[in-house]
Order: sequence, then C-alpha cells, then structure tokens
Amino acid sequence: MLVHLQGPWSPLFGRLTLASIPYANPIIIFAFAFSAIAGIAIVAPVLYYRKAGYIFREWICSVDHKKIGVMYIILGLVMMFRGFVDGMMIRTQQVTADGPASPGFLEAQHGYLPPSHFDQIYSSHGTLMILFAATPILTGLGNIIVPLQIGARDMAFPTMNAISLWLTTMGAMLIMASLFIGDFSDAGWVGLIPLTELPYSPSVGVDYWMWAIQISSVGTTLNAINIIATVIGMRAPGMRWDRLPIFTWTTLSTNIIGLTAFPVLGVALALLGADRYLGTHFYTGGMGGNLMLYTDLFWIWGHPEVYFLVLPAFGILSEVIPTFSEKPLFGYITMVAATFAIAGISWSVWLHHFFTMGAGPWVNTFFSVATMLVGIPTGVKVFNWIFTMYRGRITYTTPMLWSVAAILLLLIGGITGVMLANPAINYTVHNSVFVIAHFHCMVLLIVFAAFAAVIYWFPKVFGFKLDEAAGKRFFWFFSLGTCTVFIAMFALGFEGETRRLDYLYDPDWMPMLVIEEFGIAFYCIACFYFFKMLFVSIRDREHNRCGADPWGTARTLEWMTHSPVPFYNFAVTPHVNALDELAWRRAHGYADVVPGRYEPIHMPKNTMVPIIIGVMSFAFGFGMVWRIWWMAGLGLLGIIAMVILRSFTPDAGYTLSADDMRRLEAEASRHGIVPDTHAPLPLAEERLV
Amino acid sequence: MDAGPNFDGKLPPLWHYGETEYDLISTKTLGFWLYMLSDALIFAGLFASYGVLDHNMNAAGGPVAAQVVHPVAAFGQTVAVLSSVLAYSLATVALKTGNKAGVMLGIVVALVFAAIFLVLEFADFQTLFAMGATPERSGYLAAFYILVATHGLHMMFGMLWMLVLLPQIWRSGFNTDVVTRMLNLRLFWQFQASVWVCVYVFVYLRDSIQ
Amino acid sequence: MTDPHHPEPDPLAHPEVRQASLGGYVLGYALTVALLGVGLFGTRSHSLPPEPLLVALSILAVFLLLAQAMTFFGLNFSRYHVWKTVSLVLTVPLFILSIGLTVWMFHALDTVTMMPEMPGMSIQPTTLQ
Repeated sequence: MLVHLQGPWSPLFGRLTLASIPYANPIIIFAFAFSAIAGIAIVAPVLYYRKAGYIFREWICSVDHKKIGVMYIILGLVMMFRGFVDGMMIRTQQVTADGPASPGFLEAQHGYLPPSHFDQIYSSHGTLMILFAATPILTGLGNIIVPLQIGARDMAFPTMNAISLWLTTMGAMLIMASLFIGDFSDAGWVGLIPLTELPYSPSVGVDYWMWAIQISSVGTTLNAINIIATVIGMRAPGMRWDRLPIFTWTTLSTNIIGLTAFPVLGVALALLGADRYLGTHFYTGGMGGNLMLYTDLFWIWGHPEVYFLVLPAFGILSEVIPTFSEKPLFGYITMVAATFAIAGISWSVWLHHFFTMGAGPWVNTFFSVATMLVGIPTGVKVFNWIFTMYRGRITYTTPMLWSVAAILLLLIGGITGVMLANPAINYTVHNSVFVIAHFHCMVLLIVFAAFAAVIYWFPKVFGFKLDEAAGKRFFWFFSLGTCTVFIAMFALGFEGETRRLDYLYDPDWMPMLVIEEFGIAFYCIACFYFFKMLFVSIRDREHNRCGADPWGTARTLEWMTHSPVPFYNFAVTPHVNALDELAWRRAHGYADVVPGRYEPIHMPKNTMVPIIIGVMSFAFGFGMVWRIWWMAGLGLLGIIAMVILRSFTPDAGYTLSADDMRRLEAEASRHGIVPDTHAPLPLAEERLV
Repeated sequence: MDAGPNFDGKLPPLWHYGETEYDLISTKTLGFWLYMLSDALIFAGLFASYGVLDHNMNAAGGPVAAQVVHPVAAFGQTVAVLSSVLAYSLATVALKTGNKAGVMLGIVVALVFAAIFLVLEFADFQTLFAMGATPERSGYLAAFYILVATHGLHMMFGMLWMLVLLPQIWRSGFNTDVVTRMLNLRLFWQFQASVWVCVYVFVYLRDSIQ
Repeated sequence: MTDPHHPEPDPLAHPEVRQASLGGYVLGYALTVALLGVGLFGTRSHSLPPEPLLVALSILAVFLLLAQAMTFFGLNFSRYHVWKTVSLVLTVPLFILSIGLTVWMFHALDTVTMMPEMPGMSIQPTTLQ
C-alpha cells in the first residue's frame, strides 16, 4: 500500500474492526433503533402476507420504467426524510450553542453535538438532499412521465434503466451504512480540500462519501443516456419536435447537462481517490499539487448540477400551471429556447462559487456577467408562467399551490442569486449563511415543484387521488417553515454568521436562531401532515378512484392512458396531431375515441441482472471504503462478469397477442385497474429462482 | 395508419398501426455515442487537470515535463494504436459482405496491435520509473500518468470487448445483437484514436518543445 | 428484442454497416500517421519558435480530429448520423470551455498570487518526509 493508514488493517477485514461500530454514541443508537423499527415495520407485513416473491419478481427485477420511477421516488422521499432529520439536528445544535454561556449536553461543550459529529451531519445533509433525495425524485418523475408523454412503451434501454436505479440506491445504502459502521465525511458535501486528504481525514468517512457519489454518478450518467436516446428515437408517430411536451423538453436538456457534467465530477473524485489510495499529489499543499484544482473540477460539475435539478422543476411548473389555469402554456417556443439557453450558459459560470479564490478582476468579471445572463432566460420563464395564469380559470388544487409558491421562492432565490453574482457583494457574504439561505430557496423551490409533481401525477400512476385536505395542510406548514427558517437566515447572513459552525460566538443572533427553530417546528408539523396525507389517501383509496383524467383539465398525452397506467402504457401507439394532444382531442371531440382493433405488442422481460449488479457495486464500494481489497475486487469483477454474461444471453422479451390486448383493455375499462401479467424472467434466470 | 374500422375515413389519424418504425440498431448506437461523449468529458477533466499541473513548479523539484515525455518513442505507440483502429475498421468493411473469417481476422490483428501499444506504453513507464518519475513523485507526474493511463485503461477494456466478441461471432454469426456490438466497438475504438491524437499533440509534442 | 411476429430487417443492410469504407479508413489512418509525424518532425527540428509551433500543432490536432470525424465516424447530417453530429457539435464547446476557462483562470491566479520564479529558487519541498 502506498499510503500511510491510521489504525489497523488486516487482509480479511481491511480497516473494519469492532471499534468501527459507534455503540457508545447515544444519538447513533437512537438512529439505529429508529431505522431498525422502520425497517421491520416494512419487511414484516411483506413476509406476513407472503409477498416477498412478488416484490422480488415484479418490482426488484422490474425493467418497467414506471415501477423504476416509483422506486426512485420512494428512495428520494426516504432519503429526504433522513436529510430533514439532519437539518433539524443542525438547527437545534446552533440554537442551543449560541454564546459562551450556552450549555453543553452529552459529549459536547456547547449544544449537544461535538464538532466532528456536527460536521458529519451537515455533510450528510447536503450530500443526501442534493444527490439522494432531489436527484432520485426528479429522475424518477422523468422515468415515469417522459415515455408516457412521447407515446412510447418504455425507455430505449429498459435493463440499463434498472441498473441506474440500483446503482443510485446502492450509493444511498453506502451512506446509510456509514451511519452505523464507521463514520461519514466531515468535510462538507463539497468535500473541501485539503480537509478531505488522508492526513487530515484519516478515517473512512471521506471514503464513504466519495464512493457513494461515484457509484450513484454512474447511475445518473446511464440514465441520462437513456432519456436522451428515448426522446430522440422513441417518439410516437406525429410527435414532432414542435409538439413535444414541455416537461419532456426540460428533461431532455437536463439530461444533456447530466451526461456532460457528471463525468467531470467523476474525475474530481477519482483524483481525490488517487491521493487517498495511491499517495499521489493532485491536490496536496506541497509536492507540486494544486489545492484549487479540486474546487475547479468540482464546480465545473457543481454548477451544471444545480441546473440539472432546477430545469425539471421548471418543467413541472410548466405542466401543472397550464392544467390548473385551463389555458395552454404561454410562449411554448420561448420556454424551450430559455431552457436550452439556461443549460448552455450554465456551463460557463462555475467560478462564481469561488470568486474569492483571487483569480483577478478579468476572470471574476467574465464569470459574473455569465452568471447574471442566466437570470434572463429564467425571467422569461417566470413571466411566461404568470402570463399563462393571467385570465385563466385558476383552481387552487394542492399541486397548483405548490407551483405558485415555487415561483415566489424562485423570485427570492433568483434575486439573491443575482446579488451573489456580483463579486463585490460576494466577497462580503461568501461562506456566510446568506449563501445558504439563497441556495435553500432554490433547492426548496425544486422540492416544492417535486411535491407538486408527485401529487399531480400520483393519480395517474396509482389510480387514486391523494387527500386534498391533508395535502393542503402539508403545503401550508411546509411553506411557513420555509419562510420562517430562511428569511431569518438571510438576516443572519448580513449580520456575519458564517457557515458550518457548531458553536456560534455571538449571543445577539439568538432571536433569529429561535425564529429558525420555530420554522423547524413548522416543518415537523408539515411532516406529520405528509404522513397523514399518505395514510388517509391509502385508507380511502377505493373512495378516491379516478379515471384517465383525474383533474379534468389535463392537456398532454400521458393523461390518455388508464389510471393506474397499465404496464404496456398505450394499448395502441397513439398518432399525435398537435401540441397538447389531449387538449386538442378534447376540443375536437375525439377524447373518447378508443382504438377499433388491437395488434400484438412486444414487451421486455424482467431480469435479475440489474439488482445483482447493484449488490456487486455495493460490495465494491464497501470494500473500497474499508480497504477490503478482496471484496472490492470481487465486486468489480462481478459487475464486469454480469455484463459479459448478459451479452451472451439474448433477451427476446415476450409478446402479447391481439386477444390478450383486447382482454386487458376490457378489464381496464371495467375496473380501472389493469392487473400485472406475470412478466416472466428470461429462461436462464428462471432456472435459478 | 388509421383510426380503426369502426370509423369513417374522415377522422384524422388517432392511432398508429403496423410495423413499429423504431430503428433499434440506430437507437443503440446513438446511446453508445452519447456514452462516448460523456467519456470525452472525462478526458476534458483530465486534460484540464493536466493543463493546471503542467508547470515546472508542479514538478516539486523532480523530473519535469520535458524529461518525462518521449515523443519519438510515443510515435511508435501512435502507429500501433492507429494500426489497431485501422485493422478493426477493416473488419467492419468485411462485415458488409458477412465475411466471418475476414471479420475475425481483422479483430485478431486489432488485438495484436493494441497489445503492442500497451507493451510500448508499459516499457515507457518502466523507463520513467527507473529515473524516479513515479506517480507519487509530484503533482505534474500524477497528472501525466492519470491522463495517459486512463487512455490505456480504455484500450484494455476495448481488448476485453474484442475477446468477448470473437466467440459470439463464431457461435451466433451476424445477428442484430452482434452487429450492434461491432458497430458500438467501432465507435469506441475509433474514439481511442481521436483521444490519442489529443494526448500525443498536447502532452508528448507540446511538452517536448524546449 | 427479437419479435417472432415481425421478422427483423437484415442487420447487415443497416446504413451504419454499409457506411464502412476501405478508402475512408485508409485515408484517415494515413493522414493521422503522416500529420503526427510532421508534428513530431517540426518539434524535434525546432523549425519554429515555441509560440507559433504550439499554434501550428493545435491547428494540426483540430484538423486531424475533423478528418477522423468524417473518415472514421462518417459524421454528416443524414438521417442516420444527424443526432451524432448534433450531439458532438453541442459537446465540443463544453470540452473547450472546461479546459480553456480552467487554464485561463489558473493562469490569471498564478499571475496574481505566485511569486516570480528566480533561478536557484525552489518553491516546493523536494523530498517527501
């Protein structure tokens, strides 16, 4: 080994020892108990009702884009909950550790979290929220909706779609593992150099963070390839580029960003990995390294990444607002142009994350102007949404409430963003909580749009609507929490509070911190209403069953399918005649025309290969983290072997005859629910199960 | 494309019947091309790192760029990789006539030249190690090695792909899956030549200018 | 996915198979080897001062990449290649931006923050531990 590792290392267990398990930390013990109980609460009913086989065959081995999307969203929501708990812990620590007279609980001198634990919490908060909550939810939405919106039966590469899901999930599992075995990175979600170098972070925390991101990045890149190839190659006849739904346009441009930006993150982390594992000097302070190189490479990815998150959110707003204003989207062409302008310009602004590096006025000016330019197409979008609502027949359903609130958050976040784009202002508030408040406004608008989307499209995927009353209460308390926490935070930023402090030295900040803690209380109440919304909706689902168009005023192609969408999407591929096809059909009286005859269709088979690759990737990641070389090696070889083996076994899929289609469609019209046919595994795998 | 036999011909087409017009081969090669573009961005990151660390101060008193790059020796590598790409490309020319023997011969020749490329590269690395120019020696050397070695790693994966493809061609002949893989491998392999052009010009030639 | 009801078209008839051209590949090969040889010769013989030589080499590389795009990849705007061409054209600026802006910002940074190097001066430690 070329690097000096602190602590023991054995060939069998690597750096893993019994001491790696933090059994003396009461907070971790509580987290473990909570997770164990939650896990049992989910697994026990599955076993009791003997559904394990069904779950494995129909969900875990699924290559259906809708099921994969649902699993992505479930992953995202669970990780968002954990990220929220992290956020709650951060706020509570800061409000209890303000000033030299503040008390210390547990092992902390002030507050209840010692510095290293606090650092791990904000690092995991950022990493989870951005990469394992927001990204999976938006990816899941794209997975479900894009093929439906373009009239396709599935994505271009269904098996690769499943592989992407499991790679992302295994990245999240690595971070969950870090909670109970070893520790997590304490260097922020960005991974600040030189703190992430081995001598300064000798434990496995940074390695967990690094490999979790690397593995899930591969999943995201593969998903990007899938979406782009699907939108280019799998559109229904008549679905010309000028008839593409706006959410598909934004998802396409998002994935162009994803395809091109994530590899650079891979390079940034690979070079860090080389420093930590091989003893190279890419980012070290001496021996010819360059500390700022990491920051540069990271933000080449990091800035397009935030547009990777926000563009689907804009797409969601562009779908929800026309539906609940009963008007077509204002300025379709300018919306599409603005989307691509944002995506393009976003590639040349990344230095605004480190204006204070000191590259000089010319460099800072260039990036400042480019950053401010991005505000122009964003402004075009805001005006288009407002003009869409203007003189429309607006219904304030829950998704509409979330969308309008998202626009308001965009205004605050966007204006503070333009302020930050100015280097003179940036130098004074860099690394203060003003920046945190700005970007939380932006990521929360993404979350608001995500909630709007989940509630909007939930009836389409599951066949029943979510409870409006609980949903609205969820919305109001969540919005109240957001405003309370982050408006106070803007003020604290101006008062000089810096980021990432486990102990705050100025007692004058206490009023604002207390206000922020009230905001957290509002978020907790919102959380209660979220769970209540789910519980009530599922309990009352027979009552809330809906048809193809649950909202009554939807405009796009996906609302032409049954609710829930059958596994084959459309029984007969539709021919598209206009933008907003469903609205066009409704206007011309064709909305109820069903296909006169059916033809055989071809569907891909479920397969175990993606989940096996996922498990192998977890083994690889875990092995690399703990330097258990045999495990990492087997994991990597296993992935390569699975890919090669799969290439020797052609997947012929299976065919549904015209009679099958007629029978399935008749059941769908009668009951509103099309049962899953037993999608058989390929013959070679069937022998194994 | 009709709306079904229940309706008169005056309806606009609402449903699409008949052969699916999806061109699966083109979709798969497009997907692979998109992967190659993401690969290009990996190399962009590596070239950017090289551009930042390619200064004398990043050599930390150790071997500097001019001592480390051997463009004359690397020209042998250039000929090897280009010959490998040519051999494989000629294999795809043989594919047009379904000539199994020709295709397999082309792939084998491509494998041989790729192996020669890697042998030459390892030999160059051995020379560098002998003069103390190891990857841990300095930031510049780390950047040099990771850029060149990433290209070499791609070459190794390509060779593995060729080894897997040979028995598949032997067994299954030129069905859609095998042909798609050959087309994808052509994209992959030709891309290695393009990356090598950039590596040769911007590392080996540029840094040997005194 | 093979579908017994719809026999597949012959894969060998696909335009991407048919596009393989002996002449094109040999031309691409010859151009690359020859021009890189020219570049090598130009570098070794010190025929130009460093700055113009660097510009010439860059032009040579760009020309070769374009030639390979056409002779090897067969990129054009026909129906079977248009998306590859479009996606490449959209990616190339990102490639240039990420490398170019990085090199520019670090060059500016060095100018502003680093001391000019004097002969005999060593900025970095030369031995490890």
